[in-house]
Amino acid sequence: MEITEVFNSFLSDFIDPKKRIFLGYLILSLGIAYLWLVVIRRTSLKKAHFQIFNRKVFFSKSAQIDYKIFFINRAFSLFISPLLITQIAIATLIYYALHRQNIFYSGQFSGLSQPLVIALFSVAMFVVDDFTKYFVHRWMHNWSILWAFHKVHHSAETMTPITVYRVHPAEGILFGLRSAVSQGVVISIFFFLFGNAVDLYTIVGVNILVFFFHMTGSNLRHSHINIRYWKWLEYIFISPAQHQLHHSIAQEHYDKNFGAALAIWDWLFGSLHLSEEDKEITYGLTGDPAAPRSIGDMYLKPFTDILNILSGNFTKVQKKMFSSSTEKPFEARFWPRH
Amino acid sequence: MFKSMLKCSTIIGATILPITAVHAGGHATTYGPFPVTLQSYSGDKENSVSYSGQIARHVLHDSLKVLAGRGDGGANAASLKAEMLAYFSGSDKNKAILAPLTKDGFVIKQGTLNEISSGKNIEGKFYNGAMLAWPGSMKGRDVAMHMIERASVATKGFDADNGYDWAQLISKFTMGAMAYSQAVDNYLDEKLEADTKPNNKPYKDGTAYTGKEHVWDEGFGYFGAAAHTLALSADQAYGIAKRKDVASADANGDGVIDLKTEMVFGPAYYAAAFDRSGSKSTNYLNTIMQSYVDGRMLITSANGAVLTDAQRSSLKSHAAVIESNWEQVLAEAVFKYAGSAYKDISKMQEDGADVAKVYRGYVKHWGELKGFSMALQSGRNNLGETAGTMNDLILFGPVTLDNSYVTGVTSSGEFKRDKRMTWNDYQLQLLQVQQLMVNKFSVSSRVNDQLADLGALADKLGTQSNAETD
Repeated sequence: MEITEVFNSFLSDFIDPKKRIFLGYLILSLGIAYLWLVVIRRTSLKKAHFQIFNRKVFFSKSAQIDYKIFFINRAFSLFISPLLITQIAIATLIYYALHRQNIFYSGQFSGLSQPLVIALFSVAMFVVDDFTKYFVHRWMHNWSILWAFHKVHHSAETMTPITVYRVHPAEGILFGLRSAVSQGVVISIFFFLFGNAVDLYTIVGVNILVFFFHMTGSNLRHSHINIRYWKWLEYIFISPAQHQLHHSIAQEHYDKNFGAALAIWDWLFGSLHLSEEDKEITYGLTGDPAAPRSIGDMYLKPFTDILNILSGNFTKVQKKMFSSSTEKPFEARFWPRH
Repeated sequence: MFKSMLKCSTIIGATILPITAVHAGGHATTYGPFPVTLQSYSGDKENSVSYSGQIARHVLHDSLKVLAGRGDGGANAASLKAEMLAYFSGSDKNKAILAPLTKDGFVIKQGTLNEISSGKNIEGKFYNGAMLAWPGSMKGRDVAMHMIERASVATKGFDADNGYDWAQLISKFTMGAMAYSQAVDNYLDEKLEADTKPNNKPYKDGTAYTGKEHVWDEGFGYFGAAAHTLALSADQAYGIAKRKDVASADANGDGVIDLKTEMVFGPAYYAAAFDRSGSKSTNYLNTIMQSYVDGRMLITSANGAVLTDAQRSSLKSHAAVIESNWEQVLAEAVFKYAGSAYKDISKMQEDGADVAKVYRGYVKHWGELKGFSMALQSGRNNLGETAGTMNDLILFGPVTLDNSYVTGVTSSGEFKRDKRMTWNDYQLQLLQVQQLMVNKFSVSSRVNDQLADLGALADKLGTQSNAETD
């Protein structure tokens, strides 16, 4: 594989509106951050500028690891993604299978007006995608083997928009499959019931709802700008501050706010935590000796952790966990709790 | 203005083309005229091309299709059957051409079959191997006879109870069992061998053409393409077959369309139809035509000498291109009509649907599907398991309005329908037919692709190759 290929793929994310770090979204996020700090929080422009472009954040050791992972993962995804099952394959399989039931028939609702079908599909796609994100994310926290991978993401001690890509490749595969399954299910069911009137409302090629999510500052979720929403709105949409709280080391914030765009899943399943005014939040896995620290750790430690879990060496590790009483006991994250 | 100039230039171009069929450089742009190369020939003919017998058979086929839709429910059965047999099995009389006929400004030169070629029939050139796609374990010709028999007692060729459209079934089956089968399994197959119809002897005593020249010409005739096809786009060829594009058809500019050289018949029409629709990524018509022309050029270049092994090998490679592309065209047709039948089933179930009308269309499309699937099984290749799978999926007859379908025939030739299948199950089988055509024949035009929209939408959503983790 050519290094230029990796580099091109790296750059392409900044010009692809399907990606969160699309330059347009980043610029909008920047504008929102200034508005929040200057207009709402009455911070001086100079201070706002300093806070947004905080060198201690963007050049921290943690951020530097983010950048490295972002780049290295390009190489992984270039040869892993062609091997993964596609949403087309899943959609085709389900579409075939739908012919084996006799409650609904193919094209049963094809008489509905196309704008309505497109609206229904766009909403369904967004909601199902968001719902599966919630659940897979929740499993990543509650199942020890998945947490071994996901803690790579949570080991970030400073957060920048690039932190969204601080992901172990195994988690990348799992998320890719989740996306393929959720898209495959929705596409096939809609095609079966509504026929080929099904389409997507898009802006710059992106589902209009996803576009709205990114346009309203999705990049600020991984940042130090703690934008909060009105209380009532935080029951519906996860604010950047709510997601930042999800990264907090404080015990009362553990396993809260798994949601991506919608907060209703957290609300429904009891994991919602509203943002807190002016509360200092420390990010990361401070005090957790099992936290990966070097770039090598990020990729390999999840596997040694899993070997430890599977071979029963867990108790040996566990003793070390209680060295810091302020942290969540390690085994609580190592073993599924329900 | 510009359009009329274009048409004018087409006429002029097409007029000049036959004259310049063989350039000094050895490139032909039309199929004929080609010079007489037979060394022993002492007559005055200057053109060695002849395939009027095949054109007559295309016309017999087109006419038979018309007759298959003329039944009145039994009253005219005997006379209709006799008339159909006159076209299928041949007649001493000079029969009228029932199709293609003059339409609007599209004036057909010939009115009777003998004006093209006399004494021809379809039956003698009809595939007569086992045809397991049809109930009753019959051979190809018996199946055709059975269809003719049933068409003669039907009303306008439509058997609503069993779901058969006889005109479509007879026509599409014949397009394979006569034209495709004769071309790929006879003329472009064993007749290309060294010991058959050699190139240094006349095809028959007294003919101006050599054995191999005429073998190749007959193979070409069955394709049903106009001689000037290489100068035509798929749209123009389609327009000629539909009797709409006089300018493109009238190559010699005499104001009438000569069925012998200027018309486009079934097999070539379908090649053009798939090139101009679906994915528009195919080039069946031109590829097949070019191979025919190149093959004929090769034979002409031997100048009446026995073809060397290398020349025959080259000729066979042209034949292989023709065969594989023609087979794909038939598979594209199976793919298309499986999609049509699928859509019809959905339409029939819609609230307020005119079921009788949609069902009529469904039976027509199914007839095309079935006919083409039988055509596909009439070639040189034994499709083996693929044929079995295709037949099992398409069934002997379509699922009808009471969900029953034909499962066999009684000893008296009546159809039995003693099984039922849900619409959803049958639609699934039709999807599997499409998938089979993709897997086994790599069809790529894919008209009526039931899964294409689904795939396009999946592409629109994009793949999430890189996790964005929260």
